[in-house]
Amino acid sequence: MNDKRSTLRNRFIRDRHLYLMLLPVILFYLVFKYAPMIGEMIAFKDYRLGDGIFGSKWVGFKHFESLFGSIDFWRVLRNTLVLNVYSLVFGFPVPIILALLLNEVRKEWYKRTVQNLLYLPHFISWVVLGGIFIAILSPSTGVVNAVLENVFGIEPIYFMADSRWWPVAYTLSGIWREAGWGTILYLAAMASIDPQLYEAAKIDGASKLRQIWHITLPGIRSTVAILLVLRMGNMLDVGLEQTLILQNQSVLDVADVISTYVYRVGLQNMNYSYTTALGLFQSLVSLILVVGVNRLTRVFGERGLW
Amino acid sequence: MIIRRNNRSVWSRAGSTANYTVLALFSLIALYPLWYVIVSSFSSSRAITAGEVSLWPVEFNIQAYLRLFDDGQLFVAMGNTIVVTLVGTLLNMVLTTLAAYPLSRKRLKGRNLLLMFIIFTMLFTTGVIPNFILVKSLGLMDTYWSLWFPALISTYNMFVMKTFMEGLPEEIEESAAIDGAGDWRILVQIILPLCKPIMAALSLFYAVSWWNSYFNVLLYITKSTQQTLTLKLYQMILQVNQSLLNNGSEGVDQVMLTPEGIKAAAIVIAVTPILIVYPFLQKHFVKGVLIGSVKG
Repeated sequence: MNDKRSTLRNRFIRDRHLYLMLLPVILFYLVFKYAPMIGEMIAFKDYRLGDGIFGSKWVGFKHFESLFGSIDFWRVLRNTLVLNVYSLVFGFPVPIILALLLNEVRKEWYKRTVQNLLYLPHFISWVVLGGIFIAILSPSTGVVNAVLENVFGIEPIYFMADSRWWPVAYTLSGIWREAGWGTILYLAAMASIDPQLYEAAKIDGASKLRQIWHITLPGIRSTVAILLVLRMGNMLDVGLEQTLILQNQSVLDVADVISTYVYRVGLQNMNYSYTTALGLFQSLVSLILVVGVNRLTRVFGERGLW
Repeated sequence: MIIRRNNRSVWSRAGSTANYTVLALFSLIALYPLWYVIVSSFSSSRAITAGEVSLWPVEFNIQAYLRLFDDGQLFVAMGNTIVVTLVGTLLNMVLTTLAAYPLSRKRLKGRNLLLMFIIFTMLFTTGVIPNFILVKSLGLMDTYWSLWFPALISTYNMFVMKTFMEGLPEEIEESAAIDGAGDWRILVQIILPLCKPIMAALSLFYAVSWWNSYFNVLLYITKSTQQTLTLKLYQMILQVNQSLLNNGSEGVDQVMLTPEGIKAAAIVIAVTPILIVYPFLQKHFVKGVLIGSVKG
């Protein structure tokens, strides 16, 4: 017993420098990750700046009750989910298709050039991309409407100001920025497929399409599965910077999501407690989703994320 | 038999041509919006407002750039962005290394506990408001520490580096330890030089995200002289966007506060540094993603 304790102490002494390195790290996580969790308790209080977090009055579930009873809550929850579903349904397959196309390119220089061009949008700020999209889609000066009008004779469409079109513009802008970048993991998975499989298929007279169907797609199955469940774990997360730059007053009925609502109503109108309740709801549901989705990966026979 | 084979090769050649064409088309789509904004920035306000600009500058001029240079605010903002990006990335790399190295040593007592302590913050993310109140009560508002402190470590990036360090051969470190080198010297003289590829990738990830982010600046920096490039752009774009909506009728763009051409030029200025460094650094980014996907 005594022995055990002394070896333990020896190990701490031996590794004291490693612990010293971790000191600022632990401090960071405590102050900037864990302390805000304590701050979440203002969801159960009437937070007032003067009283501080601890001095404010407890009000129980008052804010949650008014939250779940409000139209706004169901509206932002619906928008959050709808935009996520659009991005998932239309956005998820695009990198896979791009990767399949790229994987068939034999000329190395061509492949690399296309990859470089497709990755580029990922590195540009949403502010810049938002500005560009708003300019291109503008009903009076944008090039898209100019083409629609002059070539097809269609009346100008208010893409950014029309509730029917805004989700389309939102989804496409997301695909435009991330689809190319999303191919990297699929391409890596495709590169690790045994080339002998293709040789054998060729000898058997399998066409390109059959090779893709029977060899390439099964070869990236586990990558697809993992990325899909990861994506599903983020269903309550909408890119805040993307939504904030693209949204505007006239489309708030479809464009207002949880995070932008928290920003607008919480910070700009100073409804701290009420929107903290909403934020806490989002955090808890996300936690459940991520844990559940991790279970799911294991059920499918893949290694979980932790 | 021969005919069939010929047939097939014709088909496969047609298929591959189609493939190359489709990919070229996608590349053009990826590139066009950037091209459009560059072209707009060199066109006259009249041409942009009339919707005449699509592929080439119309009534070529550099007025928009001259006005931005005259005004000078944008360049103050760019200086701020450079400071935020450089210091931020440096702090990120130091802290990320200080976390990743000890946590990559399997002999470390309490390692699993520490990992759980860190992973939990990835699973349960706190809302914007508690973070805002924290930064405010620490008195960080209107200083760049309000940007840097809450983002010192990206846990995901830290795990990428930890995974990379775990993959290094242990013998090198052991022989150094036998020679009497302490943990700090092993880290600085042996481990870090081996980590160059991952250090490059991660500092690029950090730097790009500093350069591009705007929401944190929107929250924490209120003084106009301290604002960054992205925030200035955000305000310019928002003005245009709102003026376009308040009376959603034809010809509203005439009353907007920031002419399209100036906005386009500002966007070009903001994006140029990224476009310049991108071709040289692109391969590091890809490497970073691939290392990150190998789970530890």
